[in-house]
Amino acid sequence: MKRILIVEDSGTMRSLIASTLEELGEPVKIDEAENGFEALRLLPRNAYDLILTDINMPDINGLELVSFVKRDERYAGIPLVIVSTEGSERDRDKGLELGADAYMVKPFDPDGMRTLVIDLLGRGARSGDEG
Amino acid sequence: MAARRKRRTAASKAQAEFVSEAEEILERMRNDFGLLAESLVGSGEADPEIVNSLFRSAHSLKGLSGMFGQEAMSELAHHLEDILDRLRMGRATLDRRALGLFDESVTLSAAALEKVGDEDAAEGLAETIADLIGRIEQWNDAPEASRGEGPDVDLPDSILRALTEYEEHRLHANVAQGRGIYLVDATFEIAAFEDGLQEIQGAIREVGEVLSTLPSPSGAPGSQIRFSLLTAADLPPDTLRERLELAPDAMTIARLPEGLAPESASADAPDVSDQPARDASAPAAPDETLKSISDTVRVDIRKLDELMNLVGELAIQRSALSQIANRLAQDPATSRVGQDLVKVQKTLERKLQELQGSVLDVRMVPLRQVFDKLTRVVRRLRLDQEKEVRLEIRGADTELDKLIVEELVDPLMHVVRNAFDHAIEPVAEREAAGKPAEGCIQVVASQRGNDVLISVSDDGRGIDVEKVRRRAIEVGLVSEETELGRSDILDLIFHPGLSTREEVTETSGRGVGMDVVRSNIGALGGLVDVKSEEGRGSTITIMLPITLAIIRALIVGVGPHRFAVPLNSIRETLLLDPDQLQRTEGRELMNLRGDALPLRRLDDEFRLGLEEPDKAYVVVLGVGDARLGLIVDRLEGQQDTVIKPIQGPVATVRGVAGATELGDGGAVLVLDVSALVEDVVRKGELRE
Repeated sequence: MKRILIVEDSGTMRSLIASTLEELGEPVKIDEAENGFEALRLLPRNAYDLILTDINMPDINGLELVSFVKRDERYAGIPLVIVSTEGSERDRDKGLELGADAYMVKPFDPDGMRTLVIDLLGRGARSGDEG
Repeated sequence: MAARRKRRTAASKAQAEFVSEAEEILERMRNDFGLLAESLVGSGEADPEIVNSLFRSAHSLKGLSGMFGQEAMSELAHHLEDILDRLRMGRATLDRRALGLFDESVTLSAAALEKVGDEDAAEGLAETIADLIGRIEQWNDAPEASRGEGPDVDLPDSILRALTEYEEHRLHANVAQGRGIYLVDATFEIAAFEDGLQEIQGAIREVGEVLSTLPSPSGAPGSQIRFSLLTAADLPPDTLRERLELAPDAMTIARLPEGLAPESASADAPDVSDQPARDASAPAAPDETLKSISDTVRVDIRKLDELMNLVGELAIQRSALSQIANRLAQDPATSRVGQDLVKVQKTLERKLQELQGSVLDVRMVPLRQVFDKLTRVVRRLRLDQEKEVRLEIRGADTELDKLIVEELVDPLMHVVRNAFDHAIEPVAEREAAGKPAEGCIQVVASQRGNDVLISVSDDGRGIDVEKVRRRAIEVGLVSEETELGRSDILDLIFHPGLSTREEVTETSGRGVGMDVVRSNIGALGGLVDVKSEEGRGSTITIMLPITLAIIRALIVGVGPHRFAVPLNSIRETLLLDPDQLQRTEGRELMNLRGDALPLRRLDDEFRLGLEEPDKAYVVVLGVGDARLGLIVDRLEGQQDTVIKPIQGPVATVRGVAGATELGDGGAVLVLDVSALVEDVVRKGELRE
């Protein structure tokens, strides 16, 4: 079963993203982290197939998390999506430069998110097969 | 059809979740605006951390309300976010007008939130919101302060690349202020990095600012994580290293503080106009002095205690006055002046109540601060134990006396931990029992009159009543023959002899130290009660008075003695009908609407050795579901009392909570109702 990590400080937003992903058409296991610290603790414990993260968070922010994930060889291969309310374009571009695979603006369209996630999960699986 | 209904329920649940989170955000913003106004008055400048926290709140509110189709609210939050962004980026200066706009925005957002789901009402607000947005736009139209180019800072690319726009701005602002920029490295075990990291962040904040906290792969395999903390401080490198107790190689210098720089550091610092708030040479904001923006003051709680005590003393004098007035009014010779005095005394009573209310109001704080701690603890437990448990919290806005809130932390934490550790089963066991894998602990607070109810419910294994009973027999707490109802047995978990035993706690699903919980809550004048269903879960209910400062009590009399009984534990009072009195096994009972009510004579309870009166009253006391009838000779009316602790031998008498002074100057003992009821429960007189 595919395992997805959602990093988001808003509880409501986490549930919304989680319920969107529960209807992917294939069963997925979803872990939720309320902040960057929790994400850092969860990462080494489970093998994730996808990470979705917000940018504006207390303690460590989304960019710092993306930078960490993409610089650590254990996690660098996990597809990562930034899901963030429209804000600084510079931050968004920086996220992509740091290696985020996609960017989604909140409010997001659930179908759009599912399409993107299915695509990224498939890509991850293929590269996994090859490796 | 069913699927549609399910979806609709899910949607309304999500909406309720949105409303409650939005309320929390608005509450946080209100707090932050208060702090902001305060920090302006205190230091004359806006605290960047508060401004950034406000920006994050507005940003979250924009995203959330947008997600739920609340266009007007989202638009308003968006404009608010714009103001805050300009402020945090140093592109505008905080003034009185901006503070006014913040205030209006939060109030209006809260009003809009109340109207969610009611489209007509929401439309009525749309115009007001549009007007406010117009004024925010005007404020935002003011020319931006110019921003210089970023200074040269010797930082690795990996750090610079991960800085948000705001973090970059803070970096430049700190350089402009002549602070040194350092990179502090710290490595921790990944399982427990949070405390260590927060410690070092706290130490940095004492002398400067943490600009960014970047986690990095440790290089070492597996269990460690490294953090690079981008730090700004006025201190020279050696002093900072010493303050943070760092190893020599754990800190690198990106830029020396001004004055220490080998070359003239000010040469490449940006124009001072970048930092109008900090720099004395920057032009002051026209006509808007910051003198009186805040109207809040911080007060030591002890001063409030003194004030409360004085109000209590006044209340006592007032009742003395009332008694004199009544005597005068009843005497024909003085009845006119007596009646006048009664009137004055009534007004005085009303005003005193208002005064009391105002002082109490100042002491009240929301339970949120305790609940936030619970959330953190459960989150930590969840990670440590790999148990799937969800914590649901409701009623965090319920307010209690600050002193009670502080004393509540430990017992409440204990109850929640017990639920997590012992009540919620491991995932495999839950699945085998047909339960959802994720356990749930609900903490709900609500106000009932002058009490606050806090319940902690879990959907775990529940308490094995039979095991508790057997254990109680084993330790000699009850005898084999004692007939115990279900709730009596459950109540035994609060007994010291039982609840501290590890073996019971492991198997019964409830943990250690419930006796401590009950005595702590009892000391606050509160009550604890438990309900449990095997296999389905348990609920621990804590009932607390809103304040300890003043307690309304019923004064009862037996023979020449008088006692005060806290009104919050009295369910009703009755005239004792001797025909209803039954005696079994030397104990007295009466029938109260079909239930057997165990009775106690206050006279016997304290061995006063008085004669039985012709007429007697029953004061029905309640602790949770348990009831006890206290037989007294007289009911002498209600009074506000300030309970004082007593010293000496009486202090150890069970059933006495303290002493208080009455209006006529006499001192009486205040009964400890929970102890009295507990004794009856323990003796097995209460049945279901």
